[in-house]
Amino acid sequence: MYKKFRPILFVFISTMMFISCQDELDLAPEDERQTSAAVFSSPESYEQFLAKLYAGLSLSGQQGPAGQPDLAGLDEGFSNYMRLYFMMQELTTDEAVIGWNDGTIANLHAQTWTSGNEFIRTMYSRIMYQVALNNEFLRQTTDEVLSERGVDGQLRTDIQNYRAEARFLRALSYWHALDLFGNPPFITENDPIGAFLPPQTDSESLFLFIESELKEIENQILPPRHTYGRADQAAVWMLLSKLYLNAETYTGTPRYADVITYTTKVIEAGYEIPDVPYEYLFLADNDRNGAQKEIIFPITFDGLNTQSYGGMTFIIHAAVGGTMDPADYGVGSGWAGLRTTQQFVDQFPGGADTEDSRAMFYTDGQIKEVLSISNFTNGYAITKYKNVDVNGDWGRDPAGEFPDTDFPMFRLADAYLMYAEAHVRGGGGDAAKARDYINELRERAYGDPSSNISAGDLSRNLILNERARELYWEAHRRTDLIRFNQFTENGIWAFKGGVPQGSTTPSFRNLMPIPASDLGVNTNLTQNPGY
Amino acid sequence: MKKLFKSTLMLLLMLPMSFFAQQTVSGTVSESATGLPIPGVNILVKGTTNGTSTDFDGNYTISNVNQGDVLVFSFLGFAAREIPYAGQTNLNVQLDESDAALEEVVLIGYGATTRQDATGAVEKISPAQFNRGAVVSPETLIAGKSAGVRITPSSEPGGGSEIRIRGGSSLSGNNSPLIVIDGIPLDQRGVQGVRNQLNAINPDEIEDFVILKDAAATSIYGSRASNGVILITTKKGSIETDFAMDYDVKVALGEITDKVDVLNAAQFRDIVTNAPGTNPALLGNANTDWQDQIYRTSLGAIHNVTFSEGFDSFTYRVNLNRTDQQGVLKTDLYERTALNATFTQNLFDNNLKITLNAKGILDQNQFADQGAIGAAVSFDPTQPVYDPTSPFDGYFEFRGGSDPDPLRTEFRQATRNPLALLEQRDNNATNKRTISNLNLDYRFHFLPELRFNLNAGIDYSELDGYETRPLTSAVVGDDIPFENYYTGLNRNSLLDFYFNYKSAIEAIDTKLDLTAGHSYQEFYIGDKQRFTQSNEFQNTFNINRNALESYFARASFDISNRYLLSASFRRDGSSRFSEDNRWSNFPSVSIGWKLMNEPFLQNQTVFSDLKLRAGYGVTGNQEIGGNYSYLGIYTPSRGRADVQFGYNPNGSPRFVNTLRPEEFDANLKWEELQTYNAGIDFGFFQGRFTGSVDGYYRRTEDLLATVPVPAGANLSDLLTTNVGETVSRGIEVGLNGILVSNEDFNWNVNYNITFQDLEITRLSLGDDPNFFIPQGGISGGVGNNIQIWKEGYDPSTFFVYRQVYNEQGQPIEGAYVDVNGDNQITEADKQAYKKGTPDYYMGFTNSISYKNLDFSFTFRGNFGNYVYNNTQSSNGFIGAGTVTPQDYYSNLNANVLDSGFEQNQFFSDYYVRRADFVRLDNVSLSYLIPGDAVNVRASLTGTNLLTITDYVGLDPEISNGIDNNFYPRTRNVVLGLNFSF
Repeated sequence: MYKKFRPILFVFISTMMFISCQDELDLAPEDERQTSAAVFSSPESYEQFLAKLYAGLSLSGQQGPAGQPDLAGLDEGFSNYMRLYFMMQELTTDEAVIGWNDGTIANLHAQTWTSGNEFIRTMYSRIMYQVALNNEFLRQTTDEVLSERGVDGQLRTDIQNYRAEARFLRALSYWHALDLFGNPPFITENDPIGAFLPPQTDSESLFLFIESELKEIENQILPPRHTYGRADQAAVWMLLSKLYLNAETYTGTPRYADVITYTTKVIEAGYEIPDVPYEYLFLADNDRNGAQKEIIFPITFDGLNTQSYGGMTFIIHAAVGGTMDPADYGVGSGWAGLRTTQQFVDQFPGGADTEDSRAMFYTDGQIKEVLSISNFTNGYAITKYKNVDVNGDWGRDPAGEFPDTDFPMFRLADAYLMYAEAHVRGGGGDAAKARDYINELRERAYGDPSSNISAGDLSRNLILNERARELYWEAHRRTDLIRFNQFTENGIWAFKGGVPQGSTTPSFRNLMPIPASDLGVNTNLTQNPGY
Repeated sequence: MKKLFKSTLMLLLMLPMSFFAQQTVSGTVSESATGLPIPGVNILVKGTTNGTSTDFDGNYTISNVNQGDVLVFSFLGFAAREIPYAGQTNLNVQLDESDAALEEVVLIGYGATTRQDATGAVEKISPAQFNRGAVVSPETLIAGKSAGVRITPSSEPGGGSEIRIRGGSSLSGNNSPLIVIDGIPLDQRGVQGVRNQLNAINPDEIEDFVILKDAAATSIYGSRASNGVILITTKKGSIETDFAMDYDVKVALGEITDKVDVLNAAQFRDIVTNAPGTNPALLGNANTDWQDQIYRTSLGAIHNVTFSEGFDSFTYRVNLNRTDQQGVLKTDLYERTALNATFTQNLFDNNLKITLNAKGILDQNQFADQGAIGAAVSFDPTQPVYDPTSPFDGYFEFRGGSDPDPLRTEFRQATRNPLALLEQRDNNATNKRTISNLNLDYRFHFLPELRFNLNAGIDYSELDGYETRPLTSAVVGDDIPFENYYTGLNRNSLLDFYFNYKSAIEAIDTKLDLTAGHSYQEFYIGDKQRFTQSNEFQNTFNINRNALESYFARASFDISNRYLLSASFRRDGSSRFSEDNRWSNFPSVSIGWKLMNEPFLQNQTVFSDLKLRAGYGVTGNQEIGGNYSYLGIYTPSRGRADVQFGYNPNGSPRFVNTLRPEEFDANLKWEELQTYNAGIDFGFFQGRFTGSVDGYYRRTEDLLATVPVPAGANLSDLLTTNVGETVSRGIEVGLNGILVSNEDFNWNVNYNITFQDLEITRLSLGDDPNFFIPQGGISGGVGNNIQIWKEGYDPSTFFVYRQVYNEQGQPIEGAYVDVNGDNQITEADKQAYKKGTPDYYMGFTNSISYKNLDFSFTFRGNFGNYVYNNTQSSNGFIGAGTVTPQDYYSNLNANVLDSGFEQNQFFSDYYVRRADFVRLDNVSLSYLIPGDAVNVRASLTGTNLLTITDYVGLDPEISNGIDNNFYPRTRNVVLGLNFSF
């Protein structure tokens, strides 16, 4: 009897042994996800990881348009880097108001934000997340690690370029942190991931770090215009120029001569103000309609491949409302949020009726004055960004939900204006060049030299206003106003200070608060003054 | 040892065998006091499953009895008697009415005890106490029946309830109890594509529920026990019973009890016309009650056919169930076709018991688009349901614009036609599931005190579903119809065994009961999806697997039938933690003092039971969402989340897939809960009045919470990690009374009340007392939260501005108390205010029978809980309907007529409303018509008949405290007929 059943018994016992084997508790992902040990055996993984560093600016997560968010503390669409950066830089100024009732969004334009503001908090988290991503990339691509994995040849050379780009992208985000928060936490690839409290840095130290990083990678990164969408030498020079232009704000020490140096490098790198209308810069085909010749560093979007509810999707949809026909802007619907103040409209001589083609306002059914923040018809709408090409055809997404339009984060016109400003501020350079640069932009704007300026017209005020006219809604305004001390204790526009006619605000608001949630968990941090 | 092998083999092959020369005995069982026969008395040959029960006249027959066997006669409310069998053919027995309830066997994890020997907070709920009616989801059978257990039923057809035992213990981790069905712990993550994973158990087939509340009882389940354990045992056949067939049918009609109070067409027209900047020409001429359009009277039917029979060593019970339940929301439908089969086989002088439970469930759902609930509340009432000119299958939709394609003219941002949302969507899912287990219980021939129990089980299901919307739906923005095909597989495999040794050491008058065993369980979830997006199909798939391995032991001692001591120990290893943190120990110890058996209580008649209990134990929680959260893993991006890097050689943009490193916590470990529990069990007057009181104090340490990480320290902004502590306390009182008990008339009453309190005592690694984490997202604006987690507060505490009111008691729009006195209203003026969970809750059940007529009713109530009326706050201001991104308006909550608010006041405490309630949950009347061949029972049940509350809104019973587009609970009338042959 026993013998007869022995084989069955054997199977039974061995099944039990097998099932209760403790190795079964070592489980690793079995779907597309991989452990860090496994993922880098594929050579493409390095470029894909690099792509994530760029996606950190344009997308909100690993599934387009939404589904696997990078950040969990706020609605995924709102947590997008580009969207938050636009909100910080534009909603807080005379260039934009938004009519929605999402959380504390109205406090941004009113300049009544507190350290509990979820949008400021998420911008801060997003910036530090981007830094952490770049740090992780640098940790995974050190010489030791690459040698250990046997990476060599062309891939190894490519990875050296990638590393320079990762350091650029980290510097870019740290610059945003410096500009917005002044004294953020500071982490590099030498810090671990996990349970530690990052130390706080200060403006001076952070300024020096960004400067030294950019100078170190200046000659390691790809040459200008190497690959559309990726950062190159010109992007490094632009960022250095912006850092130096605002050095006085950040450290108290002006560095305008360095602005002349680096903007000159940008200007001589072969970019041009192309002979196409100004509006081409902001169309669905702005990567190929000629305007790309001016673009130094874009945040790229694509209606089919690069989808999110942040970035351009937000900027274009939110600016369409009232009697505007969404189809004219290449979108299936408007979100009826963003408009501008009457003070910004008046930057153009003659307001909305100006000859300046940069003034792209929609006035039908709108009133110029913002009397109510929530009512879309209060304040002219802005039609600068569109998801249509030069022929008026929609971008690639048939539903018109996700635009193709790229965001020109750095472009030549900005370098021109920075050169002129540094000159006016005593950084040296050449007055005639400064005048010619501005006139090149104004000639494109007016279609003729009728509104050109003379070298004698160059003044700080002119430059600030010219920057507004040329670069509005390109996420420069807050930084510019602070540099000219017009952001808080000077400068008045509708609903600044939370009152319809506008009022000044205390100067501590030139810096954003360190979010209360981070102060609560990171005892190394001290709040910025005034909050 | 050879014997063991042999028996193991035999049971594996499940060979039915017949046995030796045995005898049959019969007789009558009667009440000692009155001499009346007692029907339904259980008679069992001790130490076997050989048993039977008495018929209506108290008669019984039992075969296969050997001389020397001990016959056990037991019945609820009577003292059990053990009579050694001496070979007679007739044996009449008298039972004493008394504390026999104490002898009742109560399952505990990996074994059983009796009520009188239980040292933990354990409660058994039997069918006699169940809620009646057309019950689809088994957990609703016991809503309101047990102290410390709060069950918030769902309103969907076949929907799952929220079950909280002692309020839950975690913040971000799981707060639902572990459910164990016939020894198989279910996957706490649930099963895909079904509304309620417990629906796999036919409510009609449940023998009893045992609820383990305190750690002394639960810690044998270790890492999954922090939220309590519910053991569900399904019915099985009985030895030596004749073939029986039972057919049961219930037909239910359900209706909503109330609608959200919104403006009618005239009121709405008036408001739009008077609001500045509006264009009344956009309004229509109809007068549509959109809520009437989407709700209906629901129909449901449940059929059960059961066959059972018991032979001398073999029993079977087969049940076929068919359930059809419509939702009150049109197009919502739940269907279940299930087969339950149980077989038991006794072998080797009843030393080996084999039980095979097999359940096959075909669970079919048609899911309605619940977005229609919110759409109906906000859709313009002046618009018609249908519009003959509409390209959208004739449904009225807001449209305009210049697109030549009529199907692209809808206003994308507008509210969609609620009826079209329902009728133009088809979302069907079929889940095929089996829960089966084979249990072998072997008593060693040579050492009858020793028992070996092996349980092998599997819970396997396959999901197949699809969702479609036609091109003519205004929801579809693509040029192709919306299609979504989804499939999934869940597999939960279990193998556990234990040895049990039960003996008595006469020398020290001690009974001991020792158990030790091992368990391995693996949980696998796979899913695939293929859906249209931007005119193309996208594919996703995921696999999530985790495994648990455990060793467990328990020792119980009963000294002099007076002093009880029990200790248990479990060691769990989980694949969810790194090797350093993988294993953890969960001990418990408890004591009991059976005062009743003390000499000084022997000569009194007041007490029939008196026992004190106390226990301490540690349990865990590992249900944290992710499976690999301790590992740094990389996730590739899925279609449409690529980045452009230059151009391909052919000039097209070159897109690169991205790869994201995920946040992780290498030090992730178990959440640990320490519980102290003390209780008293009592009975008076021969068990006419019994009850239990329990008090507990619980502290959760290394709480798993999703909290902000220090910015830059990890690869996300929030991380699920071990941080913080919560403390909870409570008192639970359960009382049972037999008010009247005689031959014709019986009246039983059950009352339970629970007081409980939960508080976060630590929330972050820092020490900022003002640190808080916003929780509780609301509708109306993105990123708006209405609740907070903060030290010193309940996790469902609201966080609001304090509204200022005028002399007439009207809220003044935008006027809030400037709490910090800085002359402006900012987030700093928000305050913690009230909470969503009750301070105390109760249940009250009456069961009355007169001859063949049964009548029962159950009241249930919560007190001290508040609800944020999000339905009012999101639609109760003029701007909500008149400031719209496109040319349409949306309806307002009628509360706007009271508040007069122009703009949103989401964070006003005006919307935080008291939501105490008492609900008449269940009233049932049934009548038994005895017959010769067939007994017929007819019943009429009403559920959710009456709710007494001050809350203005659909329903005060909202589990998270935020009332937003709530699927309304129905009032049901159920007609039932039961035929037993």
